[in-house]
Amino acid sequence: MTEPILIVKDLRTYFYQEEGVIKAVDGVSFDLYPEEVLGIVGETGSGKSVTVKSIMRLIFPPGKIVGGRILYRGKDLVQLSERDMLEIRGKRISMIFQDPMSSLNPLFTIGDQLMETIKFHQKVNEDTARRKAIEMLDRVGVPNPRERLNSYPFEFSGGMRQRVVIAIALSCDPDILIADEPTTSVDVTIQAQILDLMKELQRQFHMAVIFITHDLGVVAEIADEIMVLYGGKTMETAPTEILFDNPLHPYTHGLFNCIPRVDKKISHLEPIPGQPPQMIDVPPVCPFLPRCPVKTEQCEQSLPDIVEVEPKHFVRCFNYFSNKIKESTRVG
Amino acid sequence: MQVNQKIVKEKVKTTKVEKAVVLNVKDLKKYFPVKSGFLIQKTIGYVKAVDGVSFEVKKGKTFGLVGESGCGKTTTGRSIIRLIKPTAGVVEFLGTNIADLNEKELKPYRTKMQIVFQDPMSSLNPRLSIGEALSEPLLYHKRVKSKAEANMVIKDLLVKVGLKPYHIDRYPHQFSGGQRQRIALARAIILKPELVILDEPTSSLDVSIQAQIINLLLSLQEEMGMGYIFISHDLSVVRFISDEVGVMYLGRIVEYGQSDEIFTNPLHPYTKGLLAAAPIPDPKVKRSKKDMITGKVPSPINRPNGCFFHPRCKYKKAVCESEYPPLIKVSDTHWVSCYLYA
Repeated sequence: MTEPILIVKDLRTYFYQEEGVIKAVDGVSFDLYPEEVLGIVGETGSGKSVTVKSIMRLIFPPGKIVGGRILYRGKDLVQLSERDMLEIRGKRISMIFQDPMSSLNPLFTIGDQLMETIKFHQKVNEDTARRKAIEMLDRVGVPNPRERLNSYPFEFSGGMRQRVVIAIALSCDPDILIADEPTTSVDVTIQAQILDLMKELQRQFHMAVIFITHDLGVVAEIADEIMVLYGGKTMETAPTEILFDNPLHPYTHGLFNCIPRVDKKISHLEPIPGQPPQMIDVPPVCPFLPRCPVKTEQCEQSLPDIVEVEPKHFVRCFNYFSNKIKESTRVG
Repeated sequence: MQVNQKIVKEKVKTTKVEKAVVLNVKDLKKYFPVKSGFLIQKTIGYVKAVDGVSFEVKKGKTFGLVGESGCGKTTTGRSIIRLIKPTAGVVEFLGTNIADLNEKELKPYRTKMQIVFQDPMSSLNPRLSIGEALSEPLLYHKRVKSKAEANMVIKDLLVKVGLKPYHIDRYPHQFSGGQRQRIALARAIILKPELVILDEPTSSLDVSIQAQIINLLLSLQEEMGMGYIFISHDLSVVRFISDEVGVMYLGRIVEYGQSDEIFTNPLHPYTKGLLAAAPIPDPKVKRSKKDMITGKVPSPINRPNGCFFHPRCKYKKAVCESEYPPLIKVSDTHWVSCYLYA
C-alpha cells in the first residue's frame, strides 16, 4: 500500500484571546494519500480553515499550534523553521481561498502575480516565467492567455478570477493543493465548471487535494474520502461512499437528515436542535453532547477516542449507530 | 381575552378566502440609469434589472424566485415591497395597485407586507435591544397602548419563534446567526402581515440551523396563513419550501409553474442547466453533463438580442437570435418562455 503523503495527528491550534482560550482546532487527525481528494466538511467554527492554515503554517499570534504533528513526507511541519517552510509553502503545498478577489492583488496584472510565484520558486528568468504563465492560464481555461496576462483582476469575472488563482497555485506543480471553500462565492453554474476543472487538473497534475466545504453536495461529487469536523475535533472519517451509505456519528446522521434535496421531493427536514458550540472554556467532553440525541452518562464524563470501526472508517463516539439500528434507537 | 377573540376572527377569515390571491405582479419593470460625465451627468443607458416580471402569490402559499446573482430577484422583491419605486408595471396587493401610491397612501399597506433579509446582523440595529427593536412597529402603528403591553406581545412572539422571553433585554450581538434570523422573523410577523418577502433568509446560516429556520417558516405560515415570496439561489431549498417557482434570467422569468413540475420536468434550457449544475449529496448520483451551461451571464446593460439566453443555449434556433420568446403555456400549471415549445 502507498504511504500517506500527509499525516495530521491530534493537531491542536489555540487562540489566546482576552476572553479566554479559543480551542479552534482541538484534536484533528487524518491521513492524506497521494492523488487522493480529501473533503473536510463542517459548519462555521468547526475548525476547517484553521486546520488547513495550520498545515500551511499560516497561524499568527494570538494563535499558536500547541500540539500534534503534521508530517509531510516524514518531515514535521510544526517544527520546521520559517526558512524551510518557504520551500514548501506555495511550492510543494499550495492553497486557494474562498474569495479570489481578496487573494489577488488589485494593483498588479495577473501576469505579474503568476510570474512572481514561478520566479520565486523555480528560479527561472523572465521569458521562461512568462511562457510558463501563459501555459498555466491556458490549462485552467482562461481564453486568450497571452493577452489576458496584462489584465488586472477587476477585468475578470468571478469564475475566471478563481481560475487565475488556481493557475497560480498549480504553477509549481505541487504535491498537495488545499482548497478552502473555492466555490462558495460563485454561482451554481460557475461552481459546476470550477469543480469539473479541479477534478481534471487533479488527474493531470497527480496531486492530492484537501477540499474544504460546508456543502454536502459538493463534497459528494469531488471527494474520495471525507472528514467530518465539529467543535474543532474530527468526528468521523471515511471513504465518500461509505460515509454517505453508512454514517455512524450522530452528528453526521443529523447533517444528512437536515439537508433539502434538489433531485427529490422531501416531505420534511429534521433539524439538529440547539446551537453550534461555544469555543471558549470547553469542557473535556464531546462537543456535540448538548445537541446529541443518543447521549449517555458516559458522554458527560470523558471524551471518546477516535476508533476504526471498519477498514478506513473512523468515528469518535461512544454510542455511534448505523442506519439500520437508527430507527430502534429513536423509538427507544 | 380581547386578543384571543381577534385571533379567532382572523382564523375564520382565513378559511373563507383560502385560495385568495394576496399579490398579483404584472409586467413589473425596474430600470436603473447608468450615468456618465463629471459635472454634467448624462444618462447613457439603463440597467434593466427587472424587465417585465409577472406572477402571483396565493394566501398561505410560497412562491420561490430562483436565479443566479444579478438576475434581478432581489430587485423584484424590493420593488414589490416598495423599498424602491418600480419603473413600470402593476403590483396588485390585496386588490389595490400599490406601484404608484405615494408614501402616505402606502402606509396602511406597509404593515401588511414585510421583508426578511439575508444577513440578520446588518438588518438589526446593534444599539437597540430586542425589546426596543420589536416594540417600534407596535407603537408606531398603535397596535398597543403602552410599553408594558408591547413587552407582553413581544415575549409571546419570542417564544413562538423559538427564543426565550428573557431574550427581550438582550442585544443582537449576544445571539448566534440562527437566533438573529429568528429575531428578524419575529419582527417581520409582529404586525400579522399578509405577505412576507424572504430574501435569501437562510444563505448565511449553517445547514443544521438552516433546517431549523425553514421548519419555523413553514409552521408560522401554517399558523398565520401568510403568503411568502422566497428568494434564493439555492435550488434544493427552493424546491423544498415552494409551492410555485419562477426561474429568472437577466431580469425576466423564463420558466414558471408548480414547484414539483418545474423540478421534475424542467423545460427551459436555462432551468435544465441550473439543475444540472446543482451538486447532489449522494456520491452515487452523477450530474448530467448534457445540459451543462458554458460561459457566463451577459451584462444586464448590454443584453443580447432575441432570447437573452441564446448565446449560451445548445438548442437555439434562428428565431431565438432575433426575437424574445413569449411565455408559452405547457400545462395548467407550467409556463415556459422558449421557442422550443412554441
